[in-house]
Amino acid sequence: GRRHTAVQQMARRSICSSARRQVENKVPQKQKMFQEDNGMPIHLKGGSSDALLYRATMVLTVLGVGFTLYELVKASFPQKKD
Amino acid sequence: MAHQAHAYHMVDPSPWPLTGAVAALLMTSGLAIWMHFHTMTLMSLGLILFLLTMYQWWRDVIREGTFQGHHTPPVQKSLRYGMILFITSEVFFFLGFFWAFYHSSLAPTPELGGCWPPIGITTLNPFEVPLLNTAVLLASGVTVTWAHHSIMEGQRKQAIQSLTLTILLGFYFTALQAMEYYEAPFTIADGVYGSTFFVATGFHGLHVIIGSTFLAVCLLRQAQYHFTSDHHFGFEAAAWYWHFVDVVWLFLYISIYWWGS
Repeated sequence: GRRHTAVQQMARRSICSSARRQVENKVPQKQKMFQEDNGMPIHLKGGSSDALLYRATMVLTVLGVGFTLYELVKASFPQKKD
Repeated sequence: MAHQAHAYHMVDPSPWPLTGAVAALLMTSGLAIWMHFHTMTLMSLGLILFLLTMYQWWRDVIREGTFQGHHTPPVQKSLRYGMILFITSEVFFFLGFFWAFYHSSLAPTPELGGCWPPIGITTLNPFEVPLLNTAVLLASGVTVTWAHHSIMEGQRKQAIQSLTLTILLGFYFTALQAMEYYEAPFTIADGVYGSTFFVATGFHGLHVIIGSTFLAVCLLRQAQYHFTSDHHFGFEAAAWYWHFVDVVWLFLYISIYWWGS
């Protein structure tokens, strides 16, 4: 009767209520974005944040090589202790 | 627009192999500079570059596979071969440390007292925390298999739960091991016993952390719908790696903790 339906409705509600913060499936959007024929290489194809992160990494790379050479040359000539 | 007439993956030119190589240069030179001159700048810079390289390189692999569809069956086969060969190389890496342990422990020198464990070394009780650690990793092997079956059966929530449990077990192992390291009655400087113990278990612990991270990335990807019931190689690679870490522990436990005590 009506009581049976009410219990069923309550059971259904309590099962659903735990999944409130659902993650949305953004894969189709991403697939569209990364398959766009815009000539961009994969490491820059995600947008401006890709370019920012790439540039930062490259700066560290170039500075790093320079710093390494400096430290290794410095280490090759022993400092006289006073 | 030109289309390829084959199933293989011709990758776009990428800067990450170069940045990765430079990171290796900085980390190794930095290590030498740290040991001699006590400054950590170069080594830290190398570590940052290493992390940036790994993040961007693997982000790109995910883009190429999940978003561009480049991971066709032949490509996936190559990825499987690659992961298996990598794990095999890691097996040989650990084999070296086991060789060192057995070399010193099967024929203990007079300096050690002619016995193993050497005189003056209080070993850890293998039936206390080390046994718990064994149970934790074995359980995590079960939960990661549960996660795999959940993914194959399209059970999204169960996959997330079992994968989370696996990662938590990994963290629990790491926390227990960290506590053991802190409380241990011997250090890495305590002769060949200390060296073999901490280098072998230390590298193992590092691999637990790496494996847990790999699984955590898989958890994020599973939550974001990257995996399908018949295509989820990233997860399989993580699970293989995790089983490898578990097996290494079993050998460590039997050899160093139990036989060596």
